[in-house]
Amino acid sequence: MISFSRFTLPNGMRVIVHYDSSTPLVAMNLLYDTGSKDEDPSKTGMAHLFEHLMFCGSANVPEYDLPLQLAGGENNAFTNNDITDYYLTIPAGNIETAFWLESDRMLQPAFSQEKLDVQKSVVIEEFKQRYLNQPYGDSMHLIRPLAYKVHPYRWPTIGMDISHVASVTMADALEFFRTFYSPRRAVLALAGNINPDKAYNLAGKWFGPVNGNIQFPRDLPQEPGQNKARDLYVERNVPADALYKVWHIGRRGDSDYYTLDLLTDLLAGGDSGRLYNRLVRELRMFSEINAYITADIEPGLIIMTGKIMKGTDLKKAESALNEVIDNLKDKEPAEDEMEKVRNKFESATVLSNTNIMNKALNLSVNELLGDPGLINTEVERFRAVTGPMASAAARKYLDSGNCTTLYYKSTGRK
Amino acid sequence: MGIFLRVQPQVEAFNASIPAEPQLYELSNGAGIYLIDAGTEEVMRTDFIFRAGMVREYLPLLATTTNMMLAEGTLNYNARELSSTLDYYGIFMNLYAEKDIAGLTLYFLSKHARKAMELAGEILFRPVFPGNELDLMMKKRINWFRISRGKTQNLAMDNFFEAIFGSRHPYGRKVTEADFGKMTSQLVKDFHSMHYSPEEMTVLVSGKINGNITGLLEDFYGGLSSGYIYREDPENILSESRERKIKIAKRGSVQSSFRIGKRTINKRHPDYPGLKFLNTLLGGYFGSRLMKNLREEKGYTYGVHSSVSSFDLSGFMVISTDVGRQNAEKAAGEIFSELKRLQASPPTDEEMEVVRKYMMGEILRMFDGPFSIADSFRSVLDFGLNFDYYHRMAETIKSVTPDEIMRLANAYCKPEDMYEIKAG
Repeated sequence: MISFSRFTLPNGMRVIVHYDSSTPLVAMNLLYDTGSKDEDPSKTGMAHLFEHLMFCGSANVPEYDLPLQLAGGENNAFTNNDITDYYLTIPAGNIETAFWLESDRMLQPAFSQEKLDVQKSVVIEEFKQRYLNQPYGDSMHLIRPLAYKVHPYRWPTIGMDISHVASVTMADALEFFRTFYSPRRAVLALAGNINPDKAYNLAGKWFGPVNGNIQFPRDLPQEPGQNKARDLYVERNVPADALYKVWHIGRRGDSDYYTLDLLTDLLAGGDSGRLYNRLVRELRMFSEINAYITADIEPGLIIMTGKIMKGTDLKKAESALNEVIDNLKDKEPAEDEMEKVRNKFESATVLSNTNIMNKALNLSVNELLGDPGLINTEVERFRAVTGPMASAAARKYLDSGNCTTLYYKSTGRK
Repeated sequence: MGIFLRVQPQVEAFNASIPAEPQLYELSNGAGIYLIDAGTEEVMRTDFIFRAGMVREYLPLLATTTNMMLAEGTLNYNARELSSTLDYYGIFMNLYAEKDIAGLTLYFLSKHARKAMELAGEILFRPVFPGNELDLMMKKRINWFRISRGKTQNLAMDNFFEAIFGSRHPYGRKVTEADFGKMTSQLVKDFHSMHYSPEEMTVLVSGKINGNITGLLEDFYGGLSSGYIYREDPENILSESRERKIKIAKRGSVQSSFRIGKRTINKRHPDYPGLKFLNTLLGGYFGSRLMKNLREEKGYTYGVHSSVSSFDLSGFMVISTDVGRQNAEKAAGEIFSELKRLQASPPTDEEMEVVRKYMMGEILRMFDGPFSIADSFRSVLDFGLNFDYYHRMAETIKSVTPDEIMRLANAYCKPEDMYEIKAG
């Protein structure tokens, strides 16, 4: 049970505090309700590039990192489809330094043209390092625009193309900030050695004076249902064939969410999952296989990825995979298999909440979903999923018409 | 209402709070047990540590294969039953084989401690190494190996280790495709019986410890012994490549991966804490000289990092970065000029102060929570050291002088001693 206090500042910023006096540190997580789904389709990668610009100084702070390091702090950030998240840990006695730094860059970042140019180069190198210079690194760039025709989830967070990042101007970046970085879109969570009164006072003092920008309603194009299978074949200079399959599902908050989470655990929850047992252990057609749900706020995906063993035909491997899925649709899983995935989920959840940084992030995300208290009922909700529910969800979602497949063929050259 | 001035809050001094030394218990067979009872959640972790790393192997892949095969079938569980049982009890297993050490780490809810200890006993001391499972393991691994060879970072790192430790020592030896065909059940069984000796293992238990964990360990392991005790192999000799600049071509690559570094002292050496400080200042944190120069000023790379690491028989320092091909030579030039700058002039007091504060914060983070304490303990235990190492580290962080950093740079970081590996 993770206890917390929660309050909202007059400017609309939400604050959650989990007090844990057993640590000398405080973790601060500042989540902005904006991600790559908010980007202009011709300027993809903007949300992530902006995350970089937030480290280039602000109105009253010439350099973000230096004062934090001098106070013994450590920080980082990430961007995904839905959110941009800034997090740090700092000795409890210096937590006010974190309030000063985070509130100042929410007030007004102060990057120059020169800093923008440098960060564009840095992000372009990141693009190359993580997506172009890795075997299979472009797989999501290929499959997302095929699965999504209109929704902004059709491009990856890093951006659809390097040219988008390269073309961002000062005006674009400032407009993105004005539109999306507002206290109303921010959730601040603190976990560790700070009591709620102190957190409330510091939040009011530093974030209170930050004015709420005009709230722009989010109006994203909704993806129409898919009822016909979509395929793409590519050939690349990689050592083994690979198979990627995705199916559309609902939002993270939907009633089916935990059923789908459990469904992918049944299929691919490690070495005891059905896919591994059948396709790797028994048939030896795949060298690795994985399945997961994307946990997106807007309607997301089930993603399955597998690397094919040398000498196995890609289409035959796919048929074997489809058989495992069909078996789950036709036959309800036995109770001990259900209990296995439930127990493993419980254990994973408790283990992930042993760390103050994870607790602060999980509290922020649950607040964004509507209630930080959801953090304490996750296990219960997962446990409520039954075998018949899992099979019904397999029939409903893992339908061939709802599926997009990427056949990633090796050219066989070295 | 007055005007609110956004001035920087006062920064307080803080101290590294290094916990008391974990206590050593001995099982009746002589195995050592350390307990770290801490944390707020009902979870535990147990590390079983053996000197069964690559340094002990006479064929490439033997240490890693033996380790990975431990959970592929035991006297009482076949591979499939074992993975389902672990999952049923929500026990997370991590098998690992490093250069010196190999073993097993389990994470579990405290209430399942007994089951976790029983299963660890199966995995560690009753594996049967079935031939069909070994065959599958090698098929999977050769596939993974081919994929990992497609990454310039891995190509660069393997060639770096070969250059600084030699192609014949297990620290430096490169794996080839042919090696995957050489593993047999008998080789793996022999390696297991020589190096996974119950009386020579070290167990580290951390987390919220409920009940009598030492009693459980005694029940499951106290009576186990093995007939084999390993003796050092005098044939394993470290050597260095004569060539200091090595290029590995990779077709279609859009970036070059660099590994620039050399063999150096390890944790047992008195200069080591000072060298760690120097390394942090050079490339060990976001505000380091290399990050500022190559990333924040020039935009050559997404990241550049310098690290100093220890092995039992040696240590190494390495600077790693991935750079767009058009800037590759300029980036390498900057790395070497930063090394020269360290030798030529002492850092300013301001720069020293940032590193001091940052590293002090790191020490706090290294001891925050039971599993962090366990990690920090493990990384000295493997070298026969104890928390005294961290006290010396904290003392160095507070008191090391700019001139001392310059001395260390001249002793350990000469640009002319560096190996430069470039892949892609």
